[in-house]
This record gives sequence, structure tokens and C-alpha cells, in this order.
Amino acid sequence: MKRFKQFFKWMKGNIWIYVFSIALLVVLQYFRTLTPLFVQHTIDFILDTKESLLPDFLFKYVQGDTIKESLLLVGIVFVLVSLFRVIVMFLRRLVNAVFTERIAYNMRNTLYKKLQDLSFTYHSHAETGDLIQRCTTDIETYRVFVGEQLIEIIRLVFLMIFTIFQMSKINTQMTFISLIIAPIIFFSAFIYFLYVKKIFKKVEEAEGKMTTTLQESVTGIRVVKAFAREKFEIDKFEEDSKRYMKEDYKLLKLMAAFWGGTDFIIFVQYFVTALVGIHFAIDGVIDTGEYIAFLSYVGMVVWPLRQLGRIVGDFGKTTVALDRLDEIVLKESEHLNDSPDTPIIEGKVEFKNVGFKFEDDNKSLLKNISFDVEKGQTVAIVGKTGSGKSTLINLMVRLLEYQQGEILFDGKDLKTINKKWIRKNVGIILQEPFLYSKSIYENISIMDRKADKEKIYKAASIASLHDDIEGFEAGYKTLVGERGVTLSGGQKQRVAIARMLLDSKPILIFDDSLSAVDTETDIQIRRSLNKYWANTTVFIITHRITTAMEADKIVVLDQGEVKEMGTHDQLLKQNGIYNDLWEIQTNVEYDYKKIDKGAK
Amino acid sequence: MSHFEEEEYTDSKFDLVVWKKIFAYMAPFKHLIYAALFGAVMLAIGDIIYPLINAYGIEQIIKADSLDKLPYFVTAYVIFMVVQSSMVYLFIVKAGSVQRELSFALRKSAFRRLQELPFSYYDKTPIGWIMARMTSDSRNLSDILSWGLIDMTWGSLMMIGLTVVMFILNWKLALVTLSVLPFLIVISIYFRKKILHSYRKIRKENSKITGAFNEGITGAKTTKTLVLEKENFNDFDNLTSTMRNHSIKAAMFAGLYFPTILFISTIAVAMVLNVGGLEVVSGVISISILYVFISYVWQFFEPVMQLANILARFQQAQASAERILSLIEQEPEIYDTKEVIEKYGDAIDFKKENWEELVGDIEFNNVTFKYNKGEKVLTDFNLKVKAGESIALVGQTGAGKSTIVNLICRFYEPSEGEILIDGKNYKERSIGWLHANLGYVLQSPHLFSGTILENIRYGNEDATDEEIYEVAKLVEAHDFIIEFEDGYKTEVGEGGSRLSVGQKQLISFARALLADPKILILDEATSSVDTKTEKALQRAIETVLKGRTSFIVAHRLSTITASDRILVLDKGIVIEAGTHTELINLEQHYHKLYTNQFKQESIESSKNG
Repeated sequence: MKRFKQFFKWMKGNIWIYVFSIALLVVLQYFRTLTPLFVQHTIDFILDTKESLLPDFLFKYVQGDTIKESLLLVGIVFVLVSLFRVIVMFLRRLVNAVFTERIAYNMRNTLYKKLQDLSFTYHSHAETGDLIQRCTTDIETYRVFVGEQLIEIIRLVFLMIFTIFQMSKINTQMTFISLIIAPIIFFSAFIYFLYVKKIFKKVEEAEGKMTTTLQESVTGIRVVKAFAREKFEIDKFEEDSKRYMKEDYKLLKLMAAFWGGTDFIIFVQYFVTALVGIHFAIDGVIDTGEYIAFLSYVGMVVWPLRQLGRIVGDFGKTTVALDRLDEIVLKESEHLNDSPDTPIIEGKVEFKNVGFKFEDDNKSLLKNISFDVEKGQTVAIVGKTGSGKSTLINLMVRLLEYQQGEILFDGKDLKTINKKWIRKNVGIILQEPFLYSKSIYENISIMDRKADKEKIYKAASIASLHDDIEGFEAGYKTLVGERGVTLSGGQKQRVAIARMLLDSKPILIFDDSLSAVDTETDIQIRRSLNKYWANTTVFIITHRITTAMEADKIVVLDQGEVKEMGTHDQLLKQNGIYNDLWEIQTNVEYDYKKIDKGAK
Repeated sequence: MSHFEEEEYTDSKFDLVVWKKIFAYMAPFKHLIYAALFGAVMLAIGDIIYPLINAYGIEQIIKADSLDKLPYFVTAYVIFMVVQSSMVYLFIVKAGSVQRELSFALRKSAFRRLQELPFSYYDKTPIGWIMARMTSDSRNLSDILSWGLIDMTWGSLMMIGLTVVMFILNWKLALVTLSVLPFLIVISIYFRKKILHSYRKIRKENSKITGAFNEGITGAKTTKTLVLEKENFNDFDNLTSTMRNHSIKAAMFAGLYFPTILFISTIAVAMVLNVGGLEVVSGVISISILYVFISYVWQFFEPVMQLANILARFQQAQASAERILSLIEQEPEIYDTKEVIEKYGDAIDFKKENWEELVGDIEFNNVTFKYNKGEKVLTDFNLKVKAGESIALVGQTGAGKSTIVNLICRFYEPSEGEILIDGKNYKERSIGWLHANLGYVLQSPHLFSGTILENIRYGNEDATDEEIYEVAKLVEAHDFIIEFEDGYKTEVGEGGSRLSVGQKQLISFARALLADPKILILDEATSSVDTKTEKALQRAIETVLKGRTSFIVAHRLSTITASDRILVLDKGIVIEAGTHTELINLEQHYHKLYTNQFKQESIESSKNG
């Protein structure tokens, strides 16, 4: 029952199209089995004096006065029937295409939407390659199944039913004999395709390995050359390539044996039918035309059986694909049951005993975090990698949800405010910002599609990016991302800053997002920000002490706790972590001064 | 970029030269091709004979009303069954072998060439392009040259054979049957081409959708923080609805093809029934001949459809062939002369016994360099480095630091002028000789999938485990490695994806040192290592550099203060040179760069503090 629901839910709204398509299919199969009857009619009824097997609704139109006229009438009716058949055939294909494409469209959109709505935690644990596989291959598997394989099964089953029906009208004994070996064909195909799947997997693995070797060798060509390891790479690739070929050979031999073998079985069935048919014909049990019709009908049963076995052997693939899709679709959206409240956010932020840990982890990433920030202030958050800085930031935009304490914006608990609203008001610039595969211009204007050129240029200028862009051949039209140029880490960060500047925000967060620009540019950007965004509350995560020291407040995190807090001068006097960091980073300066003094 | 444009299949003319070259690759397994062709011929003959066997049964047994001829019928039938199914086996095995052998041969040649091509090739050729040549193109081409070619043989033979037999049996009926053939052929070719074309278009759209999924997933965090879900979804919906509409159109078009062919064939059957019936009445032919003709009409379909399919795919295959050949025939711009190879061996086969020991003196002699049609990066550049000296290169991005390093490695060669190693133009020695003496550590290090141990060993295949541990200790990598559950046996993942950048840098450092190179190049080699490790590493580097000529490119100037000579570069020119102290005292560019890294204000505050 669960499977049933799982299977049909994707067809919602399109199921009647499907039913229609299948109905047309059934009609078609009946008409297909009429073809041998026209031949039988000609041979037995017109050219001999035997009985015609044509159904009455056709028989009454093919009665000529002379043989010549009868032959002509049979020809015309045959062509008309097949014209009807061909039109229905086309119609069915069209209906089927509409059905499958609509389903694929729905599936793609549903998945895309869902993926965007799934929580940050989900995304940080998920593997991109695997998700993409689900969104492409698994959808395709289902699409092929309902659009082709299931249809094929229905088609073959009805074709066989009608064929057997037509045969039994001629002679039941003959019908039975004509089907005697048929089950063997079905089962040998079924078993073969189940078995060959394993081999096929091995081949795929071998091919995957070869491709990986190739890709790594090509992307790492510098290393290969620098170590003069060309021969090693060639040997490795050829070995992988040979292994793939060897596995593939096994598959090939199996395939050849299967097709050759089943061909033989099918011919045996033909042979048996022919032998018995000949005896029956000589004994006068059946007529010549009926014998010929039988030879056609055998073909209509035995060839499809081989295919049927193959498709049935493939069944499991679809259930697996559907399960994999459900794993995404049935996950809860992070916006489910979210507060609809959208209060005005001014910029005052308070942390009160905030604690956080991941559900599947015992260790708290943040413990008892308390501090507050007035509107318009700048806070620097400093600490080693893993000290909880980024977690803290993620809590502020509810990418993660704290379990203890509360974070207040203007005295209101974050959890009572709508998530999207918070994110609209809190600008966050990530250390490794993501740029969309669009032009630089579009990447900036993405935050405000109505923004005019001046505005975009100004934002780019504040982010010290304008000159860089002008330096590109295509300027602002330069494509970035997968299909375009690769920007340096610093340029990406500055694009991210520029797009954030299009619209003023009460709270702005730099998640170590100036790490890849040089010190001078860093200072320049921060100066401009101070000028244009004086009322904004700013959080800066940084490794650069020179950046931190300018903040109104510095929060030092260590192992998830606030260890020190205060201004630069206050913290230096505490002789704690901050002072250590200061020592390490300015050490160079001491060296310099020593040298300097010595030299003078 | 021109490579991308080639991705479009233009309607190119049949190019015999291309095919001749490809056929040359098939020469070594000619026997396979002949065997497959033999299978195809036998199958065609069998297909033509089969209706005749049945006709014999109808005529000589049923119509004659006697079982006398039954043994002949049975014998013929059994022979047919055995031959047909064994030929199916033979045909599949042989044609499949041809396909596999050919794609193997193509991949092999292309891969060898890839190893020989210099960096300038990789600079202008996207990895994706190369991958496509090696995978889909080689598959495509070998498919059509095995299955396609052999199917074509079968198809043509079928059509010829059927025609001949029909004319022998009854010329009037033969003409009637063949009258629809031109329609079948023209329509088939028309449809096949169009269908192929529309599916190619859909594939392109499909890859766009995959790209969009990729972007949606990898950019999820950014999208969330910018609240762009709705906009992104609308963009995505545009893609998928276009895809849906085009797919339906394509399916509609493709859906017309088979019914049309079927209809034409039924017209032929109707005509055969009509004309043949009259012939039977007038006693010219027997019922069995009528049966044979009806069978033959149906049998005409498949070869026609198949031939049309192959013809349609042919252009695509030629495009694949052209692209693979363009890769295989790509001449490397950097190569050793014949004389050099003769003496020192090529990149694959070293003649180590003839190699001189590399001492480490390096000299740039009026070197001018420009990348592919770009601006000159270096002009008349001169530099002398003594063996064992450590040189630091400092300057803005684009000042020419990496270029100098790449030239030393002979990843590129000077456009003008020469580079001498140990007093001899390095082109007079082999590339392999230079690279075997080179250690090179990059900012974004590349690791191969495999264990950490294997990755370090890449520097020197003969190193013992102990030697590897030692090197790892030297570069401060040992501690984090043994912290992994599997220690040195830890799998690094594809491209080293399971390690942090800093860890990768240390491993690639270890790898370089294991090679015990005479020339060591550190190109931003430790930029992502954390501050504490770098301090420790700094001391290690000092020991490591002893006895080697070294070049260090670094943004963090603190890492180069101990260098023998610091070169400050600007637009390809050395504007300052000297030791750290000398340059600081000069109070010019280096001084400014150096102090910039630490703003004046910080010094002020520290004084106050």
C-alpha cells in the first residue's frame, strides 16, 4: 500500500492522461493482431473456398462480386484499418509524451524547491554529487519506468492476450503448442538480466575508476610533470583501461550468449509450431492461410517475452529510485511552522546564555554565550578555527537553531520572528561566498533586480571591485561560475560584499569575508562602510588583529565559550588569548624593529 | 575558447582523410572486423532464406499433401536455427570486441599525448573538453565503427539480397514491393536526422538543468542568507518548462516516424495481396510465393530504418573523430629535440645513465616571455642564481613571479633568449632530467586519490616507509597524520577532498622533499597552514633549503626574511634586490610592502600597550 502511494503520488493531476494513453495502447494491440487475418482472408477465403477469420465488422465490407473486386476491397480496407491504427499510434505517443514530460517537470520543480527549503544542517551533511544524482538519474529512472517500461509491459501483455485470443479462434491445440516453450524464454530473460546487473555494476566501477584516473591525471598535470611521472601515469591509466576492457568483455560474452541462446529457443518454438502446423494442415484441421497466420502469431508472442523478462528484471531499480527521492521530499522544510511575525529590526542584539549543539553530537559547540551590542556598534569576534565563531553567526540568521538561552533583536526573541524576514534584515557575507553562473553584473544586481547601473557601479566601487571588473575583457558582462571565468577568492568576496551593499540593512555580518583581500583593500572597504552604513550594527569575524582592534567590542571565543570581552586595549591588558594572538601576529613587527634599530 | 564552439555539430562534408586515419587505428584488429562482417553476411543470408524454408514447407508438404519432403524441411530448418543463433553470438562478440579495442586504442594514444602536452595547452583547454574527448567521443566513434559499420553491411546486404530474390521469384511483385522503397528511404533519412538533432538540443537543456541543481545545492547557504529562494525557483522553472515543451515537441516529431513507416509498409502489403492474389488466380505464382513476398515487405523495414539511423549518426561520428584526432595530433609546443631524446631518453623512457648530475646554477639570459598571444610578461630578463642560493620573489599579482618559476621548471619556454642550467641551455638536456631533479610545491596542491602514504611516495617511488615518515616529520605533517584513525593509510579522497587545504599543502611539501630535489620551488606553498604550524615549518624550511637552489614565492613576507636574496618584481622587472635587511634599509618598495602588511597604527598601539 505504501509502495502504491509512493508510486502514484508523482502522477497527481496527470493520472487521467495516463489512463487515456493506456486505453489507446490496448486498442492498438487489438488492431495489430488483425493484420495476419487479412492475409488469411485473402489466401483462404478469396483464393480458396475456405472460411475467413476476419471479424464481422470488417468482413461485411470485403465482399466483392469477383475475385478481382474482393482483392481490391481487402487491400483498401486493410490500408484504412492501418491508417486508423497509425493515427491512434501517433496520438498515443503524443499523449504519453505529454504525460511523462509533465511528470518530469513536476518532479524536478518539487525537488528543487524542497532542496532550497531544507535546513542548513541538512545541506552541510549532504553530498552534492549524491543529491544531483537523485535529482537527475532517479527522476529519469521513474520517468522511463512509467513512460516506457510500464507501458511496454502493458503493451506486451495485451498483445499476447489478443494474439492468444486470435490463435485460439483458429485452433486451441495449436495455440497451446505454440506457447509451450514461451515461459522458458521469459524466465531465462528474467534471470539473465538479474544476474547481469551485478556484472554490469563491476563494469561501471571499472569505468569509473578509469575516468577518475584520467581526470586526476589531467587536473594534476603540473604535479605529474614536476615529478617527471608521465610514465607512471600512462601505466596506471592503461592498466585501468585494460581492466575496464576485461570486465566489459565478460559482459559482452554474456550478452552474446544470451541473445544467441534465446534466439535459438525462439526458433525452436517456431519450429515446433511449424511441424505441428504442417501435420494439422495435412490432416485438414487447419487451412493454409491459418497456418501462415499462426507463424505470424507465434512471433507476436515469443519475441516480446524476451523483452518482458528484461523489464521485469529491472523493476527493483524504480523502487530504489523512488525511495531515494522520498528521502528528500519527505524531509521537513525549515520554514514549516515558522512564525509569520515580521517586526521592524533596528539593530540592537543581545545574546543571553545561548547554547548550541548538533543533535547527533554530545559536544556543545557553544555554551553560555552572553553579550550585547547596541545599534550601530561594531563587534569583532576572534578565536581559533573550531572555536564556534561561525556557529554563532549561523545562529543569528537561524541557519542553526539554538537550544539554550535566547538571542534578542530589539528585545524580541529570534525564534518568534519569521526566518526569511530575519535573513532579509541581516546581511551576511560568507568567507567562501557562492556566485551564481551569471554575469558579474547580474550577480550584484541579484539583490535588487530593479537597481540601475549607477547603483551597481557604486556598490562595486565601495567594495573596491569596480576597477577589477573594468579590467576584464567583458567588464560587468563577464560570466562567472562554472561556465565563466574563475575569480580569485578575494574578488569573489568583494562581489559578495558589493551585492550586499545594494540595500541597507540594520545588521551586517562579515564571516571572515575579507580574508582573501589584501590588507590595504580590507581597510579601504571598511572605511567606506563606516561612511555609508554608519547606523548599521556590524559583526566581523576575523583572523586579522588589525581588523579586530578597531571594533567597539571584541569577543574572544575559545572552545565554544566567551573567554574574553572588551576593547582592544582592555584585552591586551588581560594577558590572555587575545594578547597571545597579538604577540604571534606582531612578532614579525618586533623582528622588523630589531633589524631596523640595529641597522640605524 | 574555440574548442567550445566545435561542440556544435556543423553539417560537415564527408572527410576521407579523417576516416583513413581512424581506420589506421583499426588495422591491428582487422581479423575481428572480418569475423564480425562474416557474421553479418551470414545473418543477412539467413534472414533472406528463412521465409523460403517456410514457403518450401507450404508448397512441398502442405499443398502437395504429403510428408515425403518433411526430412528436407526439418534438415533445412535445423541448420538454419543452429547457424543463425551461432552467428548472432559470433556477431555480437566480434563487433563488441571491435568497439572495445578501438576505443581502447584511441584512449591510449590520446592519454599518451596528454602527458606530453605542455601547460600552455592546458591553459587554453578546459578539462571538461578533454574529458569529453576521452569518454563520450571515443565511445561514440567506436560505436559507429563497430556496430554501425557492421549493421550497415547487414542492412545493405539484406536490401540487395531481398531485391535479387524477389526478382528471381516474380518480377511484377518485386516491382510492386520495391515501389514504396524510395519513400521509405527518404522519409527515414529525413526523420532520423531531425530526431537526432532535436535530442541533441534536449540533452543540452538537460545539462543546464543539472547545472542548475548543482548550483541550487552548492549555493544553498548563500541563497538562504540572501533570501533568494523565490527568484532562483523562478529561474529554474523557466529552464524546466522550456525543457518540458521542447521534449514534448521532440517526442511528437519522433512519434510520427514509426507510424509513417508502418503505414507505407502496409500499403505495400496491400498491393502485394492485390497483385499477388491475381497472379495466384491466374496460376503464375503459388500461395507460398505470395507468403514469401508478404514476409519480405515486413523485412524491408528494419534495414532501411537502421541505415537511416547510421547515416544520421555519421556526421556526429565524424565530428567525434575530428575532435579526437585534434587531441592526438596536437603538437606539443615544448619538446626535446631528437638528439636530446637519443641521448637522454624521452618523458616515458629515461636514459638515466647518460644524465649529468644537476648542480643548480641557473641563469636567465635576455629572456623574453609572453603567453599565447598575450602581452609580454618578461622582457630581456636577466638573472644569475648560484647553486644552493635561496631566492625569494616578491611583488603584486601579475608581476611575473609565477612566470619565472614556470620558466625554470620548463613548464613554459622563453619566447626569446635562453635559460642556462649549470651553464648549458636547458633545452640541450631532456625535460625528464630537469623534472626528476625538481621539487615543486603549489599553493593549491593536487593530491591523487589513494592513501597519504601513496601520495607522499609519488615524489620517489623507491622511498621506504621510514623515509616517508621522516619527511613528514620534517614538514610538521606527521602529527596530524597519525591523529587520523588510519594514520598514513588514510584515504585522501578524490583530489584530496577529505583533507584541509593546509594539510594538503604539508603533504605536497613532504612529497616534494622526498624526491630530494636539487631545485626546490615553493609557490605560496604554506599560505593556508595555520600560524603556529607555519612558525615551526619555517625552521624546517631553513634546514631543507641547504644544498638546494630554491625559489620561494610568498605573500606572507615573514616567510622569506631568511632568503639569500629577495627580488622585488614589478611588471616583469626586478626593481629591488638584496637581503631582507638591505632592502628594509633601502626604505623603498620592499620596505613599503613589508610595513603595509602591518599597518602603522598597529605598531602605534603596540607601543601604547
